Amino acid sequence: MTTVDLATRGPSTRSHDADAESGQNMARLLRPFASRFAVVVILQVVGAVAGLAPLLAVVELGRTLLTPGPVDHRHVWFVVIAGAVGLFVRLLFTAASSGIGHIVDGQVQLTFRRALAAQLGRVPIGWFSRRRTGELAKVVGEDVSAVHPFIAHAPGELVSAFVVPLVSLIYLLSINWQLTLITLIPVLTALLLVPLLMLPARLREQEEYDAAMGNIASSVVEFVQGISVVKAFGGSERAHRRFLTAADAFVSIFSRWVRGMSAVAAGMQLALSPPFVLLVVLLGGTSMITGGGLAPADLLPFLLLGLGLTAPVAALGHGFDDMQAARRAVGRIKDVLDVRSLPEPERPVAPKGHRVELRDVRFGYDDGHEVLRGVDLVLEPGTVTAIVGPSGSGKSTLVQLLPRFFDPTHGSVVLGGADLRQISSRELYRMVSFVFQDVRLLRASIADNIALAVPQAEHEDVVRAARLANIHDRILELPHGYETVIGEDAELSGGEAQRISIARALLADAPILVLDEATAFADPQTEQAVREALATLGGDRTILVIAHRLETVADADTVVVLDNGSIVERGKPTELLARGGAFAEFWQSHRSAIADEIETQDGALQGDEHR
Amino acid sequence: MIRLLLRVLGDEYARPMRRTVALMTVTAIAEGLSYALLVPVLRALFGDTPDDAWPWLIAFGAAVAAYAVLRYISDLSGMRVGTTMLRGMYHRLGDHLARLPIGWYNAGRVGDVSVMASRGLLAALGVAAHLLAPFISALVTPLTIVVVMFVFNWQLGLAALLAAPIVAAIQIRTARSTAATDAERHERDNEATGRVIEYLQAQPVLRAGGRTAERFQLLDDSLRDIERTSRRQTLSALPGAVGLALTAQAVFTGLLVLGTYLALGGNIGVAEVLTILVLAARAVDPLLSLSDIGGKLRGARSELARLESVLRTEPLPEAHEPIQPDRHDVEFESVTFQHGDRTVVDDVSLIVPEGQRIAVVGPSGAGKSTMLQLLARFYDVDSGAVRVGGVDVRDINSEVLMSRIAFVFQDVYLFDGTIEENVRLGRPDADQSEVRAAATAARLDEVIERLPGGWTTNVGEGGALLSGGERQRVSIARALLKNAPIVLLDEVTSALDPVNEAAVHEGIEHLMKGRTVVMVAHRLRTVQRAARIVFLDNGRIVEQGTHDELLGRGGRYADFWEVSAAGSGR
Repeated sequence: MTTVDLATRGPSTRSHDADAESGQNMARLLRPFASRFAVVVILQVVGAVAGLAPLLAVVELGRTLLTPGPVDHRHVWFVVIAGAVGLFVRLLFTAASSGIGHIVDGQVQLTFRRALAAQLGRVPIGWFSRRRTGELAKVVGEDVSAVHPFIAHAPGELVSAFVVPLVSLIYLLSINWQLTLITLIPVLTALLLVPLLMLPARLREQEEYDAAMGNIASSVVEFVQGISVVKAFGGSERAHRRFLTAADAFVSIFSRWVRGMSAVAAGMQLALSPPFVLLVVLLGGTSMITGGGLAPADLLPFLLLGLGLTAPVAALGHGFDDMQAARRAVGRIKDVLDVRSLPEPERPVAPKGHRVELRDVRFGYDDGHEVLRGVDLVLEPGTVTAIVGPSGSGKSTLVQLLPRFFDPTHGSVVLGGADLRQISSRELYRMVSFVFQDVRLLRASIADNIALAVPQAEHEDVVRAARLANIHDRILELPHGYETVIGEDAELSGGEAQRISIARALLADAPILVLDEATAFADPQTEQAVREALATLGGDRTILVIAHRLETVADADTVVVLDNGSIVERGKPTELLARGGAFAEFWQSHRSAIADEIETQDGALQGDEHR
Repeated sequence: MIRLLLRVLGDEYARPMRRTVALMTVTAIAEGLSYALLVPVLRALFGDTPDDAWPWLIAFGAAVAAYAVLRYISDLSGMRVGTTMLRGMYHRLGDHLARLPIGWYNAGRVGDVSVMASRGLLAALGVAAHLLAPFISALVTPLTIVVVMFVFNWQLGLAALLAAPIVAAIQIRTARSTAATDAERHERDNEATGRVIEYLQAQPVLRAGGRTAERFQLLDDSLRDIERTSRRQTLSALPGAVGLALTAQAVFTGLLVLGTYLALGGNIGVAEVLTILVLAARAVDPLLSLSDIGGKLRGARSELARLESVLRTEPLPEAHEPIQPDRHDVEFESVTFQHGDRTVVDDVSLIVPEGQRIAVVGPSGAGKSTMLQLLARFYDVDSGAVRVGGVDVRDINSEVLMSRIAFVFQDVYLFDGTIEENVRLGRPDADQSEVRAAATAARLDEVIERLPGGWTTNVGEGGALLSGGERQRVSIARALLKNAPIVLLDEVTSALDPVNEAAVHEGIEHLMKGRTVVMVAHRLRTVQRAARIVFLDNGRIVEQGTHDELLGRGGRYADFWEVSAAGSGR
């Protein structure tokens, strides 16, 4: 239900007032749980207050027994029973409260996770490319879990930290206000020490602490990720040393921080410790009793309830770290929930045909640094357009604009006469298919993996796509054929995974195909599969390919040479070759590399012909 | 728990740790004993001569002061031990990670290890340091109080003591039942994380299929599983928490009833009963906090257990009497290697004479890269032997072995630092002209010229600021600088654009000159000129020979060549 709420909201309103918006996001997610929270809190209040009954029973018992004269046995036993009942009520209610609290916590977490998943299914795909998948998974997993103390423990802890002491305080004041004030001395002492924990020096240490922790994390990532290089080059000393240095720095900052806090913290804890509180109460009580200002029996409630008054201050420190962590986690969750999805058109336009036009397209990931500087390009249906150019020339960015991973900062991408921004995303993804890098298959059956973009596909279609992608035979070798679950029943190699993804694209049967050759060539079979697929697909399709092989370039209808974000040459490959410009140079450098190779190879073959 | 902690820490920290635990125990006992003085104080106050309370009260004050001092010392000691342990653990973990075989590191491990080595370690030791004192005091202080009660009235003391075995039993039971659900939860969390990652990576395809979050069943199922497990977790923890509270409160009620009975019967002074009830109230609170502390300690415990399992992973054994190989030919003799339950390399025998080039070809997943890794001893073989210069790699000191090998990978990892630093990694003591020469030979010089900072340009974490081809040139320069007699090339050019490919080829040519080379490649043009080509499939050598021989034979290699040649339109 919440996901639907979110989906139907006009995305255009999202831009304004992001803070208030995100607050609302969270609030809206939590609203359905309000009544359950209320139940948790009420149960907790009843339970906690009932918990005072046995202490009061002891007080009443003392008062009765200490009163000179005959003891009313029935009254005494009534008091005892009341105390026992109070304990039982407390047990029942707090257990119920905590149980329900945890269950609600689980439900809230599920809601958050679903909302995050829905949101991640809507953000611009380009947004992912600048984030690590692992970090996002952490937001959905760990960060949502870190909210646990807020939801499951906060109500209980707040009630026992504030409601119980408040009730006790009122009761004690009604008995003797002077001794109540004395009983508060330890609490006040502790409170006076609090500002010492917030000194600028302490805060600075806190910052240093965070920085040092970050440093450890990044050095260990480098250490672990680079481990093969480290080992192969005997550089283990170096990376290793960096980790240890970071760790040592952290430990010394940590101990400085701990030392800075320790005296104050110890003072606070001592002030709040039961022996000290009892000592203060007894000193005050004894002098008042000996001075005649207090009935001995009236000392009892202070001994029993006085300790509870320290709870609020103790709660300040307790779970503070957890709460901090939870707050940071909530911040990260909000960040994700606040990402603006690419605006969906209010009245989607259906593209007519699949001619693609880029009109004076400019794009930059950051302000001030343009990756594409005014690209005009037409992709005609039934043609293959090959993009070549040095790395960093903007090839990948250019092709990513077609499936609308990003919107251009200037100019427009037009598909079948409609601006991409006016085409509904569903429609767009149906028209544009792409085979990119890093194919990760889902832990699901092969058939499901191939039919991912076309869930309603017939089995024959799946098989046909697999055949075309040169993977059908391999699939039949797997333990359960097309029903084999990848990652559980069998593992596929990188090239095989690539071919599955090609089958996927073939099945999707989109009229526009975007392909990056470099990463699609894991092995010769895959390379062949791609070529055959391109040939079969041909027909009326619009194909855009980042070409890395001269063969692809030679077969293309149009070649576009990209350099530094602009098109420097375009035309048929033969024309361009004849023109002797950038493309010809590119072609030559590549040819010569291969020619060299073949030459030396002949030499080598003559040189060491043995076996 | 403490035993696990000590095991993870190693012997050197055992003594200070034990001392700290002892100190904390003494502090907790002191707290309990100090309450004994409440009895005479209250007896006097509730009796006819309240003035008699003063000397006892002063004594109590002294006891509280003593407790304060003890507590401060034990806190300080805990903190000191905590930080030294932390430092020690970081070093221990770091040293261990550096010695673990590369085979141990896979994609999933990177994340696990970085969390473990940063926050995880702190959480494990921090919780141990912060929660140990409250835990000990929550256990020991009530016990001491019960002993004090015994001294003043054996009946009441006995009644209170009844709680001890029940509390212990509940603690143990809870620990056991929650451990199971905790483990299940951990598993569900991992499962869901995997699903989220899949979901993110497959976004474009999923969106094309119109599968948004609520319609992507796989993800939603795993999210719901988490909720279900967390519900089960709650339910399994509840009996423990309730049981503990029930016991504590039953005992308190029992004391209340018994005390009232004894007092009404005149068997005990009213002051004593009241004091004992005040003491009982003192004992109940820490007991109730036990379940809370226990839960947190269990959390730290699982973190510690993860640490321990890493520390227990054996690094590859070092030879006791290392042998220095004096030649640089390479030999695989009946090598079999398994990864999990899959045989990756299956009875492979191969000899590469010094200075010869050999190419390993085959479909992906055939075990080609694994062969290179076995040669560099990233793993040890399961049977057979890999030899360099006639010496089993297991008998060669690992530093020596590495100094003989230059390994160029398909994916190049560069360290966050300048280009120069990354090249120098090959041979840290190389002089300026050698570094420059290596760069020129790898055609890295033209990359450097283009970069704004030249040699001092920072490459970013993992080399993110350079393109794949540029990174590859850095790694070749690095290998050239290293000048090792054996060169291993793992699919070096398979993912490069033509310009970079040409440059990288040139660099590799320089690198291979006069050295023993084992290369894995699938771009068949690059392997044609190898002295011998080995065709690997499913971990076995199915064919070997020169390019022409193999073509003539019309076997697997010839098929492969056909496919490749057809593809390139030749």
